Amino acid sequence: MSVIEVKQLTKVFKIPKKEPGFGGAVRGLFHPQYENKTAVDGISFKLDRGEIVGYIGVNGAGKSTTIKMLTGVLMPTEGSIKVLGRNPHKQRVDNARDIGVVFGQRTQLWWDLALIESLNLIAKIYDVHPVKYRLMLNQFSKTLGLDELLKTPVRNMSLGQKMRSELAAALIHEPKVVYLDEPTIGLDLIVKERIRDFIKAECISKGMTVILTTHDLGDIEELCERVIIIDNGRIIYDGPIDTIKKRFGKFREITFETVEQVKTVHVPEGAELLSTDDRKVQIRFDRTVSTASKVAGAVMNQIEVRDFSLSEPDLADIVKQIYNGALDREGQ
Amino acid sequence: MISAARRRLSVYAALFGMIPKMFMAYQIWFWVGLVLNIISMAILVFFWRAVYADTSTISGLGLNQTITYIMLAFIFMPLTSSDLVWQFGSDLREGMIIHQLLRPVNFQAMNYVQMLGGLISRLVWQLPMLFFAVLLFDLRLPTGFSTWLAFIVSALLGFTVMFYFNWFLACFTFYTTEIWGLGVLIEGMTFFLSGALVPLAMMPEWLRTAVLSVPFAQALAVPVGLLTGITPLSDAPRVWLVQILWIIGMWIASTLFFRVAVRKITVQGG
Repeated sequence: MSVIEVKQLTKVFKIPKKEPGFGGAVRGLFHPQYENKTAVDGISFKLDRGEIVGYIGVNGAGKSTTIKMLTGVLMPTEGSIKVLGRNPHKQRVDNARDIGVVFGQRTQLWWDLALIESLNLIAKIYDVHPVKYRLMLNQFSKTLGLDELLKTPVRNMSLGQKMRSELAAALIHEPKVVYLDEPTIGLDLIVKERIRDFIKAECISKGMTVILTTHDLGDIEELCERVIIIDNGRIIYDGPIDTIKKRFGKFREITFETVEQVKTVHVPEGAELLSTDDRKVQIRFDRTVSTASKVAGAVMNQIEVRDFSLSEPDLADIVKQIYNGALDREGQ
Repeated sequence: MISAARRRLSVYAALFGMIPKMFMAYQIWFWVGLVLNIISMAILVFFWRAVYADTSTISGLGLNQTITYIMLAFIFMPLTSSDLVWQFGSDLREGMIIHQLLRPVNFQAMNYVQMLGGLISRLVWQLPMLFFAVLLFDLRLPTGFSTWLAFIVSALLGFTVMFYFNWFLACFTFYTTEIWGLGVLIEGMTFFLSGALVPLAMMPEWLRTAVLSVPFAQALAVPVGLLTGITPLSDAPRVWLVQILWIIGMWIASTLFFRVAVRKITVQGG
């Protein structure tokens, strides 16, 4: 049986056109004027127990709206959702007991209080047995480095510290289903790494079903085997990450900063010269054919290089290309 | 069954306990607020002394009775506290309401215990005011146990009336998301209609009827009336009954409204 089952899910927001001031608000109560905006447009998917799915798309694609409907706080306009056999909107409180949620952009912790106070209360609300709770705290102390944070008020934490605290708060009751909405947003590489390791250790190894939204392909590559890509509220791809990786993940770009202006450079097989201007040389290469050291070595043999950097294609590009039918073309 | 009930109680007790801790996070407010409150109270006392300069009773109330009422009403103002509208408003605006709704506990009950925690914290904060009122303005507190008991029961009932009433009003924020106007309006109305400024007995008949037909006075004028003896103690059961009827009415109205309003929720941002 699927843990999450979504059928033809649609959400249309009626966005009120606002007049300013209290008078406007009161007028708005009696003569409201609305615009319709379809945030999620007839999506369907199923998730099995233990599956971890990357749910990706550009800003405003409808990711967060979907997550909010899955948690039960937002009522779908049309379509149906079953999470662990329940309707999350109708059975919001029962559903809440079995899920854990992290919203990267807002906190569920008590802003003014030390983290341990929030965790104590959350453990109580979710009825975590005291022995179990102590065990989890110890475990989180190791995996998330919480020790130093327990006595710190949340308002005094850095973004990375806050996110680690959020994850602890969301998973302390070992939920069956976890929604992670941009858990790595704005974090540095070291914290990201730590959070990915934590998700692996806590969610994947314990068989939780996870939906992860992110703008970081690295998150997806490391954690997910399946991705769902949405754009304009519709699913444009649902399948293994490997397909995406093969098509888009094989390219890398190297940018060289040169001492003198260079007109042309000879590049090895599998690489392609993109541009040479303003003392910058941009080269794209296929990881399956060549390597970064081959390309860099060849270039450095020819010209004096001051500095260089390596970059991956970014998600917005990929989504755009998929939307334009890049995957279909690949298949043919 | 019993263990489930006890577990639920302990959850609510823990929620309740969070509030004083949050109050303590901003200790500086305590001192600023205390100074401001003493000044405000002094102004009220001098005002009423001036009113009584040429007369010994107004509407059957003597100077001491009036000043006692005014000071106690001032000190017990937190009973009317209308935080819910502000809290709903800011929770909606910042999208925090999503986490509130995702707690596996009854949303209204959770808010009730937290508001109750806020009330008790505020009243504890008001204790120094009581001390200053006795010291500076010769406030004489009632000593009878049954008077205090009647007051405490009535205060809790009145607070509950206001909780459901504010809950009802707070549901409007689901529609407007504009709360500043609504919040200020409610605060102003609370101040005038709860009987904090003028004892109900001094109001003309038509105004008193109007004030008693809205719930505000139930939380302040009614319990403080019992405490000061303006309402005789023998009236207490009748007073409680009226308050309980208010609670039932407000509970029905607010629960129905919330059920509809929560469907309207559009968590902003993200």
